[in-house]
Amino acid sequence: MSAAGRPGVGWWLLILPAFLLLVAFYIAPIVQVLAISVTEPEPGFGNYERILTSSAVQRVIFTTLRICIITTALALLLGYAIAYAITLARPVARGWWILAVLVPLWISVLVRAFAWVTLLRRQGLVNNALIGAGLIEEPLPLVWNEFGIVVGMVHYMVPFAVLPMLASMREIDPRLLAAARGLGASRGEVFRRVFLPLSMPGVIASGVLVFIFSLGFYITPAILGGGKTLMVAEWISLQILDLIRWGLGTMMATMLVVAILVTLAIFSRVVDLRRIFGAGA
Amino acid sequence: MDGAYRTGPFGRSLAWVTALYLVLPILIVVPVALTDQRFLSLPQEGISFRHFGTVLGSAEWLGSIWQSFTIAVAATVLSVTAGTLCAIGCWRISRRATELVRVLMLLPLIIPSIVYAIGLYRYFGPLGLLDRFLGVAIAHGVTGIPYVVITVSTALAAFDPRLEQAARGMGASLSQTLRWVILPRIAPGIFSGAIFAFIHSWDELVMVLFIASRQVFTLPRRIWDGINENLDPAMAAVAVLLILFTLLLLMADRALRRRSEGG
Amino acid sequence: MNEAKGHALSLRGLSKKYGEFVAVSDVSLEVGRGEFLTLLGPSGSGKTTILMAVAGFVAPSAGAILLDGRDITPLPPEKRDFGMVFQGYALFPHMTVAENVTFPLRVRGMSRAERDAKVRGALDLVQLGAFADRLPKQLSGGQQQRVALARALVFDPALLLLDEPLSALDKKLRAELQEELKALHQRVGRTFVNVTHDQEEALSLSDRIAILNHGRLVQAGAPGELYERPRTRFVADFLGKSNFLDGMVHGATASGFALEAGAVRVAVRLPDGAAAPPEGARTLLSLRPEKVALLAEDEGAENIAEGRILSFAYLGAGFSLRVATEHLGEIRAVLPAWKAPIAPAEGLPVRLGWAADAAVPVLEDAA
Repeated sequence: MSAAGRPGVGWWLLILPAFLLLVAFYIAPIVQVLAISVTEPEPGFGNYERILTSSAVQRVIFTTLRICIITTALALLLGYAIAYAITLARPVARGWWILAVLVPLWISVLVRAFAWVTLLRRQGLVNNALIGAGLIEEPLPLVWNEFGIVVGMVHYMVPFAVLPMLASMREIDPRLLAAARGLGASRGEVFRRVFLPLSMPGVIASGVLVFIFSLGFYITPAILGGGKTLMVAEWISLQILDLIRWGLGTMMATMLVVAILVTLAIFSRVVDLRRIFGAGA
Repeated sequence: MDGAYRTGPFGRSLAWVTALYLVLPILIVVPVALTDQRFLSLPQEGISFRHFGTVLGSAEWLGSIWQSFTIAVAATVLSVTAGTLCAIGCWRISRRATELVRVLMLLPLIIPSIVYAIGLYRYFGPLGLLDRFLGVAIAHGVTGIPYVVITVSTALAAFDPRLEQAARGMGASLSQTLRWVILPRIAPGIFSGAIFAFIHSWDELVMVLFIASRQVFTLPRRIWDGINENLDPAMAAVAVLLILFTLLLLMADRALRRRSEGG
Repeated sequence: MNEAKGHALSLRGLSKKYGEFVAVSDVSLEVGRGEFLTLLGPSGSGKTTILMAVAGFVAPSAGAILLDGRDITPLPPEKRDFGMVFQGYALFPHMTVAENVTFPLRVRGMSRAERDAKVRGALDLVQLGAFADRLPKQLSGGQQQRVALARALVFDPALLLLDEPLSALDKKLRAELQEELKALHQRVGRTFVNVTHDQEEALSLSDRIAILNHGRLVQAGAPGELYERPRTRFVADFLGKSNFLDGMVHGATASGFALEAGAVRVAVRLPDGAAAPPEGARTLLSLRPEKVALLAEDEGAENIAEGRILSFAYLGAGFSLRVATEHLGEIRAVLPAWKAPIAPAEGLPVRLGWAADAAVPVLEDAA
């Protein structure tokens, strides 16, 4: 029989404050954004036509997609290596590996972007060290371009990539790996034929998570892109704050939300949303 | 796992490189903050704490730190209250409708804050909440609810529903059951949620860029301006202080979880 | 304590459906004042659902629950004033033993002094006075079970509900606590409603047993009555073990009949007031293995069946035999070792005998 009896009205009242707050102060402002995109400057889908006609809009979308795909691929590769190391590490070492993932996760994104600027700018520590060692004459352009953005974004995303992959790797029965070796598979074969396929659900979950986080990422691209390489979030901010073009800004914001929800919908069969986000906290 | 299967040399090196890539850039701000120079650099002649002095002696920095702290506290109270009650309600009722509520509660984690921020910018105007303490606290508090819902739901998953039945069967009302049976059992989960909600508000920048300008000037906002306008070692000192503060909160969380697991 | 403290419970046409699934179907049952009633059945028989409905955790789809004639069906659990011992006990892990037992008094806003006295009394009742400040996890399973009892009794509940109270304990402890529970019931004189799937526990504890199967009440009565006079095949089989003899009714009179199976007739004597099945009808007899005797050479009996021993097992106190008979199929007999007239061996031809009132007619259960 079901353990639950008959929950009274009281229990529903518990949900009410959060629900009302969310509707009044979260859903409403966002719905307003969607509404503005079809009402300003004039009613209709004029703003959306710009996706087809404006090369500036297209450039932003393609830049964003390119950077997001590169970021996702790199974050998955590096994250996989860490998750793999954590899964196979002894308990004490495992604690340290996890610390190396969790500490960056919780340190302010601004602090991290600042650290990368310190390292990568023209007179930064990396360029100075390379010049000091006589390896280069002129400082390399390491930041305020796409390279800088990718370095900073991957750094931000790796911990998010690690957590779902780690969760799925932990479910792999270690006896399977021992059995595969016992049956004569080399280490590389065990990885390719047993471990990798079994960890694929985690890889997909991580990929989805990193990709949707990257799409709307604002702070790191804005600081490390130096205003020269625009991604969607910074472009939206520019439209609203500097150019006061609400219609265009909200149109792009709507597209951003749609892109994220579509991505989630496509992968919702493969990926348990609640589990991904449960793992992040 | 036992010794039967280990990482190969390639996997191991890649993991090490990644770990260094994750941690070193963050650590680099420590020597930079201790530089004896006037510009961003490693210490040349010796270490100096004067950049920390600059920050801690600056009314502007201290004002922003205080403002961020009070906003984060207010937002955390909001997130924890609403989030905890919601998680308990959803857990107890556990129907399709509450599953929907729980998914709804995840929206602030999924939708980029830039979208929410521009929405708020328009929405708060007529409400008179722009550039107000209350406005920022509400925005941070509402977007902090998911963290609390997640941690409290996780704690509740380990809670034996028969304890709730036992309490009701012995005559306890809903509020007595909440206060004496449910809340004490899930306190560690609530505390974790509170820490995450606090860090969320304390670090939040995107919303603040849109809904605050002069009256409310939080710490992340001041750091943002610092990075964009004058890159000096005082920024590194702020970064170090922030890192220490975050580590402190995380350690508190770990210690509390360990205690609740051990006890 | 006194008898007047017990309350009477009655279930009237209780049903519970979960969508298409019928968990409880039209169960009516009376529980007298101070009675120890056990709901017995296999898992999925609806016994726990009935208990949960009485406790108020499950809303019945139809029917009513009455306490001393007053309808309590719509009351929430906290208004019913029933003590309950949960499966696994559901002790609050963050409270000490004393705090657990105080809980029902605290929610009733009782004064501290009054509370302390009652808690001491309740803990003494279950002999746990010395453990008041321990946490539940510092206690053994049996001690936890007693804390759960003290907690359920401390507020003088109208009814004590027990959901598989002994199932988490090992076999030896279970037997010990069965006796304690029975003694406790006599001391407090309250109405107890117990749920279990363990027939031995039900037989030894209860004043009355209600046997459930597939959500239906099959038979209710005193343990001896149920054991001696099972109404259906299910009851005979679930409560103890039974042989079943299949045949046609022949020569029915007021006091008995004969069952015709192949070439043999089995004489059946009915107890007073029992009606014989109609002449010529197909009927089923239940014959308890311990009522079958192994006959010596020259010994006679009202019913005799010849056969060969298929297998036997030594049980310490006795033997269990499986005997293949020509007309009645396989018959199982359990006999005390000291009363066996021969040494059993496989293939040995034997004669089995039983009295005419040993076998009782039972009904096939409706599917």
